[in-house]
Amino acid sequence: MASIEFDNVSRSFDGGIDAVHKLNLNISDGEFMVLVGPSGCGKSTLLRMAAGLEEITSGEIRIGGRAVNHIPAQQRNVAMVFQNYALYPHMTVRRNLDFPLRMQRLSSADIERRVRHIAEMLDLVPLLERKPKALSGGQRQRVAMGRAIIREADLFLMDEPLSNLDARLRVQIRSEIVRLQKELAITTLYVTHDQAEAMTLGQRIAVLKEGRLQQVAQPSEIYQHPANTFVASFIGSPGMNLIRGTLRHNQGNTLLQLGPMRLILPEQVASRYTGLNSRYDQTLIAGIRPSHIRIDQEQSQTGLSARITSVESLGHETILHLATELEVDAAEITDRGVFATQPRPLIALLPGHQGFTTGDRLTLNLDIDNLCLFDPQGKAID
Amino acid sequence: MTRDSRSNEQTATALLMAIPALAGLLLFILLPFATALLLAFTDLRLGSPLLVRFVGFDQFIHLINDPDFVRALFNNLLFAAVVVPLQTALALALALLLNRGLPGTVAFRTLFFMPVVFPMSLVSVIWSLIYAPGPDGMMNAFLEWGSFGLWEPRDFLRDPMLALPGIMLLSIWQGVGFQMVILLAGLQGIPQSLYEAAALDGAGSRQQLIHITLPQLRNPMIFVMLITTILAFRLFDQVQIMTRGGPDNATTTVIYETVQAAFARQQVALASAMTVVFFLFVLAVTWLQRRYTHHEREVS
Amino acid sequence: MRSTRLSVLLSYLLLGGMAMLFVVPLLMMFIGSLKPDQNILVEAGSLAAFLPSDVSLQNYADVFRRSDFPRYLFNSLFITGCIVICGLLVNSMAAYAFARLQWRGRDLLFNLVLALMVLPFEAIAIPLFYGASILGLRDSYTVQIVPFIANAFAVYLFYSFFISMPKELEEAARLDGASTLRIFFSIIMPNAKPVFASVAILTFLTWWGSYLWPMMVTIGPAVRPLPVAIASFFTLPPLYWGDILAFGVMMVSPVLLLFVTFQRWFVRGVASSAIKG
Repeated sequence: MASIEFDNVSRSFDGGIDAVHKLNLNISDGEFMVLVGPSGCGKSTLLRMAAGLEEITSGEIRIGGRAVNHIPAQQRNVAMVFQNYALYPHMTVRRNLDFPLRMQRLSSADIERRVRHIAEMLDLVPLLERKPKALSGGQRQRVAMGRAIIREADLFLMDEPLSNLDARLRVQIRSEIVRLQKELAITTLYVTHDQAEAMTLGQRIAVLKEGRLQQVAQPSEIYQHPANTFVASFIGSPGMNLIRGTLRHNQGNTLLQLGPMRLILPEQVASRYTGLNSRYDQTLIAGIRPSHIRIDQEQSQTGLSARITSVESLGHETILHLATELEVDAAEITDRGVFATQPRPLIALLPGHQGFTTGDRLTLNLDIDNLCLFDPQGKAID
Repeated sequence: MTRDSRSNEQTATALLMAIPALAGLLLFILLPFATALLLAFTDLRLGSPLLVRFVGFDQFIHLINDPDFVRALFNNLLFAAVVVPLQTALALALALLLNRGLPGTVAFRTLFFMPVVFPMSLVSVIWSLIYAPGPDGMMNAFLEWGSFGLWEPRDFLRDPMLALPGIMLLSIWQGVGFQMVILLAGLQGIPQSLYEAAALDGAGSRQQLIHITLPQLRNPMIFVMLITTILAFRLFDQVQIMTRGGPDNATTTVIYETVQAAFARQQVALASAMTVVFFLFVLAVTWLQRRYTHHEREVS
Repeated sequence: MRSTRLSVLLSYLLLGGMAMLFVVPLLMMFIGSLKPDQNILVEAGSLAAFLPSDVSLQNYADVFRRSDFPRYLFNSLFITGCIVICGLLVNSMAAYAFARLQWRGRDLLFNLVLALMVLPFEAIAIPLFYGASILGLRDSYTVQIVPFIANAFAVYLFYSFFISMPKELEEAARLDGASTLRIFFSIIMPNAKPVFASVAILTFLTWWGSYLWPMMVTIGPAVRPLPVAIASFFTLPPLYWGDILAFGVMMVSPVLLLFVTFQRWFVRGVASSAIKG
């Protein structure tokens, strides 16, 4: 077991932009860290640099306090689960599992003991003499995990290990991974593009975009206090609504002007931010989770009138797309692929099945206690 | 820094792995070829007491004026001009027939491919018997039967008009299976969806052949023609065994002349010059192939 | 494509007609090898050529009496076998170094290998022959094997295959602690069987029938391979066609057997040579 530190690490390709840019990240011994970001954000590159499969252009990676830049993959004592598992097709499950042990020249009694132990732990005993071709997706995944665990490596790397499984199996193995990781207390670096996976798995989550670290924190912190609008819109499904507005000051109250709406920031909200008064009369971005939008069916005076442009009914929850007079910002990344050519709708998320149809008119209220404020550049206001 | 340390370690292993093949290629291909290039510009003749001199293009000028060599070159070109289209067309026809997936296809494919595993020297010997002179010779008898008695028995391999065509025929017989298999693989690589799309667009089977099959088969066809052309220039075994270049130089070839010059007359420099000419032809044909082969990027 | 009854019939007629042309020389060889010598030429002009008459194995016995057939067969098998086996090892290793390892000079040398593919053997035969003569290596196994082990086209075929293999297997093996050589022998080789089979078959076909070079370098029967042996048996007076055909049958039978057994691999191997385009 060991900690791993990325110290100012960069990876550049000839003539291109940096896949990873001056990145600092410390993962302590036994921690489960999830790297998440859209494809091409550099998360896999980072993982492969830790493994020794990718060169480090500058900076230093330390595993257990020891710089590993010059240590070849073979000698790093790092185990990895690949996206497509990379099981050796010509070897049986047993041979796949004991390959790393044979490379270490362990005694055959030792190898036998460890293979049996791992096979029992992962329910692989009846499959030991089969070839990977004869296994189901879930079984292959377990063999890949087993081959990584059996090494008793310092560091456990997983590169989207669940993306080749169907949704049901994914949820099941997700909890399996959490259990195993707790049991083995092995430092784990887990890469995924799926923010839901990140939220359920990680003790801490590192959000990456274009090779740069956006935020590192516990899942709840990332969800409630995103460091910038990118994190705000990337985490959560659907992501946070970003609304352009102006901060005003009137009779000792701090007001937030969002389109036609004027919201008074309660004292306990305003006091979370230092130096709001230096931002009076300036543009800023207010973020509100879709689940923090309240719907009143009757027209009321205080709320904001809205028209439903589309309804996505998922059974256990309902997503409404709403046309309002608010200026909704195009998030830099959405997982829904909406292009910013049309005025963007405000998204609301309601529990359960709701009887709305397209065209309905409603009145909205924003749950102001859960508002996040960002400066016009997208950075969270302190 | 990191790059250096890793590539140093890899360089050692890589050299270990690559050196046997590289050494072989350098020693047994590049070095001899360079020697041939060099010798072609000298007057080296084994057993000659005179010192070797550089003579510039003299050997090549000598070749142009040597009727035997010119005839050899002509024979090679004639062989290519006849065999390449015939053999390619035949291979394509066989491949198209086999690609219909009729029952018994594998048996026919086996049969057509079988001569490929026959050494050319054995094929030459068998066909020498087929070309036996007199009315009892198999080819003579067959032609007599086929022409209702009009054919006069001939001695194929000693007839200046018939010797080269005779060699062409057995070369096609031996080689067509090879081409057929390559074209068949090409045919099987054409996505079925193209034919389905064409059928929906109203194309009949002949139009599908012209608009789908043949364009899709372009690269394998060019490859097949390339190797057949190069084989035409390498023509030697059949000539050496069946006719020794005769009668009257009717079947002599560049390689046959090269071997004659080198071994019968010890004219090493002249033989080297012939080698160079031969190589230039092969190079030109290869260049043409590279030029006309389409490299289509995959649509992803 | 829809096939009408007529077009099916036509296809079979064409295939059948072609099949006749391919069968005739083969049948003539096999049947003729069982006939007494005097029958062969006489019956060649009629259908009797394809009917056995006075069947005996006398011709086969004569081949063993008049020539050292077992020795030629051994020579051919030994020479071709050595070229194939050493060639597989040497060329695949080089291809792997070109396809997957990072080293200085790699691209330059690989381009050289690609360029050497253009050179047919005939273009280097003469200097190679004098080189061998100077070293006193004529009439040896060495001179028939060693120069042909390294082969640019084989390197290229291996290279194309390796470059298209997924990298993850090798990366997994590296993390599992395997050295580069170990990865090559334990991971790459077992997963590259198709290309090894193809190269083996193409190499075999090239050198099994090779005639020019052994004709140049062999002097006596000691290291002479079959293609040269049958050519000289053919010119060895007196001309007994029965013996020659029997020689031919014995010469081609082992390969035919191999071909019929591994037909799929032969076909695949030959088809794979076309990726050069």
